[in-house]
Amino acid sequence: MQNAKDTFYMTFLSRIATLNPARTSVIRGITRPGVLVEENELTTAAVLPDVFRLRWVGSAIEPTSAMPLLRMQCEIHYGTDGNPGNGGMDRGRLLAAMDAELMTAIEASPRHALKMSYASAAQDQPPVAMATNIFWGELMFGDMKMEGERLQRVARVEVFSYQEAGEL
Amino acid sequence: MSSAQVPSVAPVARRVRAYFAPVNRVAQSPTLFDAAQMGSFNLDAPPAPWIDLGWCTKFVRKCGTKIAALRTGAPSVPASQVRTEAEATVQLEFESWGKLQMALAGGSQQMNLLMTAGDGMAAAVPVTAGSTATTLNVGAAVNVFSVGDSIAVDQDYLGQTGFVGAGVSGAYVRSAADVTNDVNYIRRITLNVGRVVAVGSGALTLGAPLLAGAPAAGMQINKLTGFVDREGGTFFQEWSALFVLEGEQGDRVIFHYPRLQAMDGSAETAEVLSAPLERLRLNGAFRALPVKDATDGETVLCFRSYLPAAMRSI
Repeated sequence: MQNAKDTFYMTFLSRIATLNPARTSVIRGITRPGVLVEENELTTAAVLPDVFRLRWVGSAIEPTSAMPLLRMQCEIHYGTDGNPGNGGMDRGRLLAAMDAELMTAIEASPRHALKMSYASAAQDQPPVAMATNIFWGELMFGDMKMEGERLQRVARVEVFSYQEAGEL
Repeated sequence: MSSAQVPSVAPVARRVRAYFAPVNRVAQSPTLFDAAQMGSFNLDAPPAPWIDLGWCTKFVRKCGTKIAALRTGAPSVPASQVRTEAEATVQLEFESWGKLQMALAGGSQQMNLLMTAGDGMAAAVPVTAGSTATTLNVGAAVNVFSVGDSIAVDQDYLGQTGFVGAGVSGAYVRSAADVTNDVNYIRRITLNVGRVVAVGSGALTLGAPLLAGAPAAGMQINKLTGFVDREGGTFFQEWSALFVLEGEQGDRVIFHYPRLQAMDGSAETAEVLSAPLERLRLNGAFRALPVKDATDGETVLCFRSYLPAAMRSI
């Protein structure tokens, strides 16, 4: 399951970084592409704007297949206050830009990626390619919500992965 | 990637991609697809002469083949089996409307709405030597055309009978009188059409190659405004079909029907986008006709090929 989550995150991050290299955030002093997984970060009440935040909210398994098929629900939270230089009056445009980036990154072909194990990353070793692909379904946009000056949205996508022998 | 073999799983695919190739109606010769040689082709660049028809939805294959038991003894028990009837049908909805999709889904003659005298084009324009499937030399007549024009390219009707139409037979003419000796008749029914995307010095550039390839000597051009088909008639379009399902694991399922003919008239499905907005999808329903498989001489209707993903158990 963790390999599938990591692979989806890395695929999404890579696509966003290609689509818009300027979408970055500084987290714990390091500048990186503006995509993060909430469960991998320090708990904080602050919500970073202009960043895609992945939240894994549910999973189910179909054990009847030759390899168990894992389904995981991923919520992608994002929002923007607009550009201060424009008094925030461009926040609708910036949210639309994030919508477009998200849609392009998720819907671009192929909508699958070779599953990788990043377990070795802790030892500074490269990730290990596995035998199956993860793949994902259609992107579902939620309604836009306003919180003060901030515009925000939650999109959902279902991610699928076959559980390979010996995979945790 | 791991060198270990992993269990094979059922293919998971999103959509079906359809491809067209002509059947030579005179020779009764379909276009055969060799999945062993070409099965892994790039879906956006099918091997010649296959032409991309785009994505399809609601793809349903049905097998109408009937198998009966030959019984013997008392009480009778099945001794062997025989196929008493072979039939295969395909249904789908085309995601896009175009000349080919309409012609195939309509099933009968699919005619071009030609511009003639009074519509800004007094007569057909001859294609001159040196033309290709995408560049048509027309000399001084280039001024007749503008970027964005749709055109039909084919021979004049000069009393031919039988199947007519360049590249793909678009109609069957029983007698010159039936088509009133209309010199433009073949261009009315031809599937050899294109869109002008550039007008240069004495030449037209098309957005996609003509279905029949480089124009033959004597071909002429008419502008057209659209297409029309009819319910009824006697002609059946026939085509060689390929349907590809790209699996998410890198596997691929290919359905090949060497000969398909429409089994319904023209129809559409209305999909409500947001009332009253509706999207019309072209319905296609086809019956497979038989071919002789050169491998063993068997009479067959269709082929299903499966290309497993890497390192899957087989």
